[in-house]
Amino acid sequence: MSQPWVELPERSNALALWLIRTIALHMGRPTGRALLYPITLYFLLTAGEARRGSQRFLHRALGHEPTWREVFRHFHCFAATILDRVYFLTGQLQRFEMEIHGGQWVLEQATSGQGCILLGSHLGSFEALRAIGVHRRHLPIRILMNTAHNQLMTRFLNALNPALAQCILPVGGPETLLKVQESVEQGCLVGVLADRAAPGEKTVRCRLFGQAVDFPAAPMVLAGLADCPVILFFGLYLGGNRYQVHFERLAERIVLDRRQRQEHLGVWMQRYADRLEHYTRLAPYNWFNFYDYWREEGS
Amino acid sequence: MDALSPFELEVARLLVETLHLEDIKPEDIAPEEPLFNEGLGLDSIDALELALAISKTYGFQLRSDDQQNQRVFASLRALSQHIALNRVR
Repeated sequence: MSQPWVELPERSNALALWLIRTIALHMGRPTGRALLYPITLYFLLTAGEARRGSQRFLHRALGHEPTWREVFRHFHCFAATILDRVYFLTGQLQRFEMEIHGGQWVLEQATSGQGCILLGSHLGSFEALRAIGVHRRHLPIRILMNTAHNQLMTRFLNALNPALAQCILPVGGPETLLKVQESVEQGCLVGVLADRAAPGEKTVRCRLFGQAVDFPAAPMVLAGLADCPVILFFGLYLGGNRYQVHFERLAERIVLDRRQRQEHLGVWMQRYADRLEHYTRLAPYNWFNFYDYWREEGS
Repeated sequence: MDALSPFELEVARLLVETLHLEDIKPEDIAPEEPLFNEGLGLDSIDALELALAISKTYGFQLRSDDQQNQRVFASLRALSQHIALNRVR
């Protein structure tokens, strides 16, 4: 039986994270990147569940049974973005070549003083967004994050940049969305990763790569209740030091009629799913949902 | 079963109406039962909708950083008491 993502044990341990930080900050990115190969290999050999998740996804996205080389590339892409988070969080943006598409959407939104929902995913690096938005442009960005799921990682990232830690809104308790709504009201751009629903969460069924996926309903309901625009973002890692960040306007406002809420939600979330699929096809190795995403096991 | 006070019944009606709990009668809500997760099984979306409805009806805002939230959202009785104490209309 496959486990949902929240129950998967945290792979990263304190030593590995300390190692990544030490290497990244004191030995430099080239050394760090060279060491990613043995690290990737280690995880490839030991993380069976994640490997099966990767194989299933790649089969779907590439249209053939993936080779070991392709699975390795998938893991390596993930590891590379984790290493780069250290540089993003410590403000070393000059190391990277950042290509930004649709940046006017967030800039205009921030200048207008009206908050919005930034709808992202576990495709690529959302840290790229935070780095650009907060470091370079000083935009009022908040990120809704499941900090309880990965406490070690959270502590590790917070230690790197305590100021950035303040822009995290932790998920938990009934007042979570109230907090998000208040932030939007104050003019913040609130980032939500909308491609994973926690068990028990209200969901809306869409199609991704031709098969049903239950997406969380909350981000879209929230945009409807807060009466604010929705902007999509995708931070793709293209290899080397290249990142490509895309922003797209999904909706000026979301109107959800109470009686037909589920249908309306379905229509809006399907648009999100379509864009997610589009960018996933552009950069399949950026798909960082290393588990049985489509619940194929046992079906 | 514990009976609802008139004001608790009013809040229960608001709850049922706001969240479209079609299969629940306001007078059937147990006043001490948890509203969220177990009990009525409400979630974070419901909490937000409820907070917005309370602000419209009673003219005060429930704040997310309120230390008392856990208690306020604990049951219909606790919520009703909180509203009674803070309402401005």
